[in-house]
Amino acid sequence: MNSRRILVLLGKEFIHGPKNFMFIWAIVAPLAFTLVATLAFGTLFSDKPKLGILDEGDSQLVIMAMDIDSITTREYQDVISLKQATRSGAVDMGIVLPQNFDEIVAKKEANTIEAYIWGESLAKDRIILPTTIANLTRELADQEVPVEIITVTLGDEASIPWSERLIPFLVLMGVFFSGLMLPSTSLIEEKQKKTFEAVVITPASISEIFIAKATMGIVLSVFMGIVILLLNQAFGANSLLLVAVLFLGAIMAVELGLICGALIRDITTLFTIWKSGGILLFGPAIVYMFPQIPEWIGNIFPTYYALQPVVEISMRSGNWSNISLNVFILIAIDIILLFFIMLAARRLMQRT
Amino acid sequence: MVEQAIIADKLTYSYNNLLAVDHISFHVAKGEILGFLGPNGAGKTTSVKMLTGQLKPKDGKAILLGLDVAENIERVQSEIGVCFEETNLYQRMSAVENLNLFARLFNVKSFNAYSLLARVGLSGREKDRVENYSKGMKQRLMVARSLVSKPQILFLDEPTAGLDPTSSEAIRNIILEERKRGATIFLTTHDMMEADKLSDRVAFMNQGKILALDKPLNLKQKYGKRALKAKVASNKGSLEIREINLDTPQTAEEIQKLFHNEKVVTIHSEEATLEDIFIKITGRGLTE
Repeated sequence: MNSRRILVLLGKEFIHGPKNFMFIWAIVAPLAFTLVATLAFGTLFSDKPKLGILDEGDSQLVIMAMDIDSITTREYQDVISLKQATRSGAVDMGIVLPQNFDEIVAKKEANTIEAYIWGESLAKDRIILPTTIANLTRELADQEVPVEIITVTLGDEASIPWSERLIPFLVLMGVFFSGLMLPSTSLIEEKQKKTFEAVVITPASISEIFIAKATMGIVLSVFMGIVILLLNQAFGANSLLLVAVLFLGAIMAVELGLICGALIRDITTLFTIWKSGGILLFGPAIVYMFPQIPEWIGNIFPTYYALQPVVEISMRSGNWSNISLNVFILIAIDIILLFFIMLAARRLMQRT
Repeated sequence: MVEQAIIADKLTYSYNNLLAVDHISFHVAKGEILGFLGPNGAGKTTSVKMLTGQLKPKDGKAILLGLDVAENIERVQSEIGVCFEETNLYQRMSAVENLNLFARLFNVKSFNAYSLLARVGLSGREKDRVENYSKGMKQRLMVARSLVSKPQILFLDEPTAGLDPTSSEAIRNIILEERKRGATIFLTTHDMMEADKLSDRVAFMNQGKILALDKPLNLKQKYGKRALKAKVASNKGSLEIREINLDTPQTAEEIQKLFHNEKVVTIHSEEATLEDIFIKITGRGLTE
């Protein structure tokens, strides 16, 4: 294995790859879908998160919240109007500050805030608003203060916005279109045009060729995953863990791509398999799209183990403990696929 | 003692139950041009693939420059250049980009793609995309690519197939120049004239076996028939052909009779071609 040759082959993939229709399509298609979805469902130009406050005392927190530009704060005079505003979606979250809130905070005692959440509010708003309240409370006390936020969901709880339901699909599309389709089409094209044969006759080995194609796929796959999450404003708070999980998912996509590339004869067959086998890839996204489908059904699809950690971190403020089991399963799948790649590579060499 | 560049020792390969190459043994000396001839399906390509490390022999071994190919693939492949029969260039790259890519894969320092392209007659079109090249230009670029690393052994598979006479001649000249440089050349071809003209020795392969391997002249002497062919004017004014075998005791007498009794219009010697010999040995033509 020679890293210099891998870099030469990788350079070729990146410099000449963009001349390939598939390369452009792998980037443009997921972005176009994302833009259409965000425009159609209004998340791209959505308002700032809206916070409603009922102050039963005279808390400084209200003034501090009003000063924050990144959220819109409205004050309500009674619980009924606050609940009504939340239920109708006029605010994403309505909180009730008890009469002696500032005094309890000043004493650094545990505090409780009752919060009403609009059932159709965006996940990002559900993350931003409680985080903002916790930060403001910390500012008020000048140090860490335990605040418990008791949430009550109002409005149509079952009606998750389509913009959110589509995020898992868009993430899978971005990650797997780049990760799977780029290495596979690149490999198949090289086989069809016999350039693969020309390269393997040089000192470059088949494993170096595979690593170069895999690296290109992984880089683009992770990049597309990040871009799609950013465009959907669903990057969550734990960005490092999210990128790590996207990376593992990208490895899975690339491995499947290399296996397909090594075994499939032509691009037409690849697209036929992509169309007919798409359900295996996008099954988990369908489960997330329709909450009526029990989430455990997702477990039967390999891609679920790449998608669930992403969804958990980016949309549900999950942490390592929420995703660890599935991440380990994902790593196991990545390792198993590696053996299949070795078998496919051996077969490819015999056929070249 | 002659140093051998290529040694094939009982090389064997089969695809499932089909024996493609059947225990072939031969050697090629350093600086020699070996013409490797045979019809389609004879096992030539499989043999070349075993020699170049693309296929692992089922039996026997290939030794190139003293190295067992199966055990030293990377070292062997860094010393050889291969020009394939089918065009396998990166079509969306220019000629310069194609050559530079392969030069980097071979780790060739201070490589000048332009001078190599000039050598194969592609000056002025260096930066054009290969997809816009004619077949002859692509073939010349393929030959140039096989020379990028200044290989010690050059495998050329039908390098002039389907080319116009000028392009073919240019490639033949390059082959001779490479031999002059000291390269060993393994030339696979259907073109018997080309093989005859260029090769020091030729090997006839058929059905996975090497049926004959020798200098073209020796093969012609061994298997061919030397003759004189004369066109004579008949009494009716038409031309008739007379053929005299040169290898019989009566040859001199027959030639004398010819000139004495007939009006000779043209006369020329005729020796067997490699194709005649190939048909004689294998019972089939090269294109069958």
